Amino acid sequence: MFKEFLKHLFPRLVLKSSLKITYTFCLGGLAFTAFMILGVSGLLLLFYYQPSPEKAFGSILFLESSVWGGRYLRSLHRLTSHVFLVLIFLHTLRVILTGAYRKPRELNWLIGFSLLLVAIFSAYTGYLLPMDQLSLWATQTGMELVAGTFLGNVALGILVPDGVGLPMSLLRFYILHIMLAPLALLLLSFLHFYRIRRDKGVLPYL
Amino acid sequence: MIAALISLPAALFLIGKFLRPTIAPKRGLLVVEKSAIPVHGALVYRESRVAVIREAGEIYALGLVCTHLGCTVGVTPQELICPCHGSVFDRRGNVVKGPADRPLVRYPFEERGDRVAVLL
Repeated sequence: MFKEFLKHLFPRLVLKSSLKITYTFCLGGLAFTAFMILGVSGLLLLFYYQPSPEKAFGSILFLESSVWGGRYLRSLHRLTSHVFLVLIFLHTLRVILTGAYRKPRELNWLIGFSLLLVAIFSAYTGYLLPMDQLSLWATQTGMELVAGTFLGNVALGILVPDGVGLPMSLLRFYILHIMLAPLALLLLSFLHFYRIRRDKGVLPYL
Repeated sequence: MIAALISLPAALFLIGKFLRPTIAPKRGLLVVEKSAIPVHGALVYRESRVAVIREAGEIYALGLVCTHLGCTVGVTPQELICPCHGSVFDRRGNVVKGPADRPLVRYPFEERGDRVAVLL
């Protein structure tokens, strides 16, 4: 059964022309790889992080000073998050420049764009979690920007009911960062990949 | 289909209600001895984000929340400077340099003999 699974995980055959690196630069695939690294490193960080304003920064100091590989893992998670966003932006740029958003792939373009937005939101919610000065004030200014938008006050009431950096808000950013945003990213990614096969661009024989 | 059209907005509405708890607005009273405020100086309460300032015989309380994007401004003997994007306010709270475009909030306060009470 395991062998069957492996057999079906990858396509039966691949066109030589779509393997050429300059065709897509594999930017989407690399972005998803970054997402998987984020998932694994983030899962390990969960063992030490404590989502309360008093303990958050201390738990990160502990992770960095007293846990074998803790500093490496946290750096990996942080750097990969930057790389993830850069790759998604480059992927979007590639899709725009090659006109891959055109008919019949409009739906997949929309799914891809939502992936970009959810990825930015995911990064933003993760930024507050260390609760150092930089993350606190960056989140504070970000929330002020949200407050200026349409329905911004409703979003603010849901995201930071008790103010940036206070217990309820930190917990909400935490839940969004470790549960809802990754789940949305994963589901949208699968939908994204499914639509690639359905739209038959790179796999015309299906 | 119709059931989904009705139940989905209803579910979103209920979840929205669930996510917005009733939080009593924070009210505070800051009582300061007048003699504790230095002449041409200020008492700075960074956590509460307020400064009680004495300038040219007048006492007033300035909120230290930057009117640009809400960072806490730093108080120096000459001016108040925001560390986030460099807005500068004079000691009366007026904007000297942007990006902030509104003066700092002045809190109402009352004199109680040799003390002042600031209503936060």
